[in-house]
Amino acid sequence: MNIEKLRAHLPWMTLAVLALLVSLAHPEFLRLANLLQMASDVAALFVMALGITLVIYIGGIDLSSQSLANMATVLATVALPACGPWTSLLVLLAGALLGGASGVASTKLKVPSFIATLAMGGIALSLGAYVSKQQSVSMDGELRANSFGWIYGVSGTVPNEVIIAVVLLAALLFIERRTTFGRSLKAIGCGELAAVASGIRVDRYKIAAYAISGLLAATAGLIFAARLAGGGPNVAEGFLLPAIVAVLVGGTSLSGGVGGVFNTVIGTLIVAVIRTGMVYLEVPAQSQQFVFGLMLIVAIALTIDRSKLATVK
Amino acid sequence: MLEFRKVEKSFPGVRALKGVDFQVGRGEIIGLVGENGAGKSTLMKVLYGSYQHDGGEILIDGKATRFANPRAAMIAGIGMVFQEQSLLPNLSVMENIFLGFETQFSRFGVIDWKKMAAAARRQLDKVHLDIDPKVITARLSFAQRQMVELAKVLTLEERVDGQLVILLDEPTSVLSMDETQLLFKLIRELRSRASFIFVSHRLDEVIEIADRIYVMKDGEVVATMASAGAQVEQIQQKMVGRDISVEYYREDKQLPRSQEVLVELQGLCSTGHYDDISFKLHRGEVLSLVGVEGSGGEAILRSLFGLAQPTSGSLRIKGKPVAGHSAARAVASGMGYIPRERKIEGIVDGMSVFENITLSQLGKYSRAGVLRVGAEKVTAAQWMARLAIKAPSVHANAGKLSGGNQQKVVIAKWRSGGSDIILLDHPTRGVDIGAKEGIYEVIREMCADGCGVVIMADTLEEAIGLSHTILVLKDKRIRHRFDCTPGSKPLPFDLVHQMT
Repeated sequence: MNIEKLRAHLPWMTLAVLALLVSLAHPEFLRLANLLQMASDVAALFVMALGITLVIYIGGIDLSSQSLANMATVLATVALPACGPWTSLLVLLAGALLGGASGVASTKLKVPSFIATLAMGGIALSLGAYVSKQQSVSMDGELRANSFGWIYGVSGTVPNEVIIAVVLLAALLFIERRTTFGRSLKAIGCGELAAVASGIRVDRYKIAAYAISGLLAATAGLIFAARLAGGGPNVAEGFLLPAIVAVLVGGTSLSGGVGGVFNTVIGTLIVAVIRTGMVYLEVPAQSQQFVFGLMLIVAIALTIDRSKLATVK
Repeated sequence: MLEFRKVEKSFPGVRALKGVDFQVGRGEIIGLVGENGAGKSTLMKVLYGSYQHDGGEILIDGKATRFANPRAAMIAGIGMVFQEQSLLPNLSVMENIFLGFETQFSRFGVIDWKKMAAAARRQLDKVHLDIDPKVITARLSFAQRQMVELAKVLTLEERVDGQLVILLDEPTSVLSMDETQLLFKLIRELRSRASFIFVSHRLDEVIEIADRIYVMKDGEVVATMASAGAQVEQIQQKMVGRDISVEYYREDKQLPRSQEVLVELQGLCSTGHYDDISFKLHRGEVLSLVGVEGSGGEAILRSLFGLAQPTSGSLRIKGKPVAGHSAARAVASGMGYIPRERKIEGIVDGMSVFENITLSQLGKYSRAGVLRVGAEKVTAAQWMARLAIKAPSVHANAGKLSGGNQQKVVIAKWRSGGSDIILLDHPTRGVDIGAKEGIYEVIREMCADGCGVVIMADTLEEAIGLSHTILVLKDKRIRHRFDCTPGSKPLPFDLVHQMT
């Protein structure tokens, strides 16, 4: 087995080894209740990572997700009294709009995606701070139950946000594997110039990918807001790094075209298991980012396909 | 002082140098000529260490040598003045001249700029260029940059004990006549210190400056002659080689074209790329654009396909005027583009054969955006059989196929989509001989099916064999139009005569 083939299997093997280690040390890890709790804790992160996956899949990067999620928590809370059940729609639309704007900046204005999305993140952060008057805001209990019950409730024993995550996963898997949109994204990721020369409207698809990423970041924000019964301009702090770790450790390549939505499932589970392991080891929360930062560099250094890169900047 | 003995160089599928013998004497000026693809650049690259020969010997002053890289060649006294100018435009002239060799001016890593400027001035004096060495290179004219390139190469004099050999690759292509004469004067002056190898498509200039001329064709030296008394036409004859029989072109297989106009260009211009291009492409016609590298053909193809915008003139596709052209529109109007950079613009490496074949017409294989993958695979399998594409299955990664098979996948992409205006940029480049004939067959078949084809052929023979019409481009304009229907085919010589 050569390295190239091994590379494709590395993510799930990593997951299996990590899960085995954690469950050997703490057998209660594998209990259903514990697993469901873990799934519901990681659902919002996963939804955000799903969006980022699309953008990385076409060879870009989205650094605005965390700020968009922050903004979404504030919008959802502030708009709730006026908009009621329509709040969700409004928040998702705002996320898609800002994400789409990043896409326009990167395709039409030729701003590199990491700059375009970094800048858009700043804009979203300010919008959130402005709407919330730089404070955390909270929801009225009854309004929350009426409008967001479908997000934070439980169906049977399964938390609703896990169901939402699974539905979104199914939808994106279908888009990726069975639609012209997904095929076009793959072509753009593998060989953008060839996609252009095949008459594909590359700019449109790229803008759509950024818009969906924005929409999913806003969805993640909605889940936070519903669970926390409120929002604030910094609620999603510290989510961007693990979300990008989930995508890249899952096996979606920074150079584009390789990996996809399903890889992000594996990547998110890896992140979740590591988090749980760190809780067992009593690693303080603020030190977790240290681990994720280190992990990202090591994982990329180990797995990047250098034959595709002439120079790295 | 420099000698090549039976030097060989092969690339996968191509023998680029077939036992080349080549000598340069002390202070001699050698002309090196040949068509595109004759092996000139490979020979140069072997000489300055960019490629390593895999057979024969290279001798310098009688000693066998092999250069691992261009720096090793430089240290042995071989300098290259590039056609694509190698100066970095954002650096100053002196920084460019001493790029990579700054240590002589530095102490503890800090550069003594005054010392470097003085040294740069000495180099510029050698080429009689009176400019401030601190000036930023981007602000120089092309002619001045060419002189700076030469000055840069001449720094070898101070570093090398023996004689220099300086390679000049199309040095006059950006120069005016006066500037060319200036360069020639300089070369003659410098021959006391260096030998020169002068590569050019401008044969009159080669005859003027060189002492001896080597003519290459198909990776071989086909003639060596003293330039005293040499005639341009005599060299052109040698460049194209043997006369070619009717049978070679398979004229019997060429069908007449129809009268229906598919594409019409009128006075199309793109500043810096091509100028005042007008022609009509008919159904069933193969039209060749022929010219030396950089004469504009590739840029015309890219504009036709909407990958670049012309600056003025009109373009009509199937009678409809085109404004705001894009590749997506070109495809929608029935165009297909088979690029020279097959791995970059032709094949999507990482996608399967069937995904590549249907990529330009996903609409046809989907309903409400949902793909009918079964139908895609059926089409792909049919075209794999029809074009004899050798791949393990429709699921194989197209990026892993051989050059010829990749080319056929790209052809299948357009043909299966019903494109009837096909633009081919060097379709047989890097394809082995057997697969070439297969591609010719496909092109003839396209014409029989009523497609119009614009082609930039890899060789003149290819252009003559396939075409109904040949347009010869020179200096970015159409220089001559040849009717090329069976029975009235021009000779390769006639084309070269118009090209150079």
